[in-house]
Amino acid sequence: MDKMLWIAMSGAKENMNAVSVRANNLANANTDGFKADLEQARSMQAFGEGLPTRVFAMTESPGQNFAAGALQTTGRNMDVAIKDQGWIAVQDQNGNERYTRNGSLEVGTDGLLKNSKGNTIIGDNGPIFVPQPVDKLTIGSNGNVSIRPMGAPENVMEVIGRIKLVNPPNGNIEKGTDGLFKLKDDQVALADANVKLQIGALESSNVNSVEEMTSMIALQRQYEMNVKLMKTADENAQRSESLMRIS
Amino acid sequence: MNPALWISKTGLDAQQRDISVISNNLANSSTVGFKKSRAVFEDLLYQNINQPGGQSAQDTELPNGLMVGAGTKVVATQKSHTQGNVQTTDNSLDVMIDGKGFFQILMPDGTISYTRNGQFSLNEEGEMVTSGNGYTLEPAIQIPEDAMSVSISQEGEVTVTQPGNPDNVVVGQINLVNFINPAGLEPMGQNLYRETAVSGAPLEAVPGVDGMGNTIQGALETSNVNVTEELVNLIESQRGYEMNSKVISSVDQMLSFVTQQL
Repeated sequence: MDKMLWIAMSGAKENMNAVSVRANNLANANTDGFKADLEQARSMQAFGEGLPTRVFAMTESPGQNFAAGALQTTGRNMDVAIKDQGWIAVQDQNGNERYTRNGSLEVGTDGLLKNSKGNTIIGDNGPIFVPQPVDKLTIGSNGNVSIRPMGAPENVMEVIGRIKLVNPPNGNIEKGTDGLFKLKDDQVALADANVKLQIGALESSNVNSVEEMTSMIALQRQYEMNVKLMKTADENAQRSESLMRIS
Repeated sequence: MNPALWISKTGLDAQQRDISVISNNLANSSTVGFKKSRAVFEDLLYQNINQPGGQSAQDTELPNGLMVGAGTKVVATQKSHTQGNVQTTDNSLDVMIDGKGFFQILMPDGTISYTRNGQFSLNEEGEMVTSGNGYTLEPAIQIPEDAMSVSISQEGEVTVTQPGNPDNVVVGQINLVNFINPAGLEPMGQNLYRETAVSGAPLEAVPGVDGMGNTIQGALETSNVNVTEELVNLIESQRGYEMNSKVISSVDQMLSFVTQQL
């Protein structure tokens, strides 16, 4: 029997995987700083003897859409968004340096500056410690964090650190399984003074829901065609079986 | 079953939670001293289906893997402690905090809770209490029965005038407290907040001193809910919800197609 059934099945199965990628994008259409995952199919040849017709499909995620999401003004002085290109350096659960565009910052109980996901922000000299009690905390567009200690005069502002902002080339950055980004070679990116912050705003998810819905429909129809082919393979097998039957 | 179904389910759950937060903000848009909340979304873990760099043939490697995320989740509701608008009332027992700080309220169980709502009333003993449930202000301030007028200074000093006495008589002092991380306070309803491990310990001070706000008599702080902003958020959440449910129906159609055709 021809292996048409298996080829069609691989197509249908990989279409389902692609739908999962699109579904995850749509589920994260409201996640601040989220970057949409891309999805594409690759042909995987498995030529043997006879006609070279064995080409299976394989869905893969070649990367993320790094376009900036819409800026959402919140007016909160500890919400920062990155203008244009760039990343905020944070620590993941194991203390490794990772990158994110989620700039909803807060001071944790240990006095360290963190983002809303609980990742400690990395400054130019390690994590940024905010000495308490503090009356006012401001973040400059270059990432400088300055505070006015409680009870100090209005004009006393003390710089306690600078948020590490990096801008590695997009081709060299990938998403880890925890949703944070890292360099492909696991190296640490250098700070870039050209990355600027917008204070009082957050970057919303860059998922284009219309595009995702359209791709969903296209994938759904492609899936149906693959299933139709499986059906055809089934019918062919039935016909040859009835031909061969000794009546 | 298909992961896309579960991924979209997390999306539906999260959008629904977001709509609950938005509706609570809108419901409290006229609550004095109310601080709006915001749902914080986070993407869930990613699953590696094809490892990037895996072997595709004897001497070629896959340049890209396939990683499928598990959806989204609302991880926190963050209170935004920005200042609300000023509403002048000319009621002598209405006090507004202009700046940072919270009033301290003595609960019936002896613990202290905190509020930004300065609508006070008097109880039968003449003590300043919260209007809603009559919990006393801490430290307790008793207004004498024969007081003709009450004034509260910007520094929280409460004075009264009494018949036959040309001088103002000081009857108490309102102190404010502040927290390292006010967003970490636990809202307990009735406009009250409770101290938690993440809010830090309360730091007490006289109003207007050490970065504490001033107490303004005859004014109230309105809720900081921006109704337009909430309605825009509502539209966004509703459309997000619809699109996630559309994914579920698409996947359902795909699965039903395969069962019908094969």
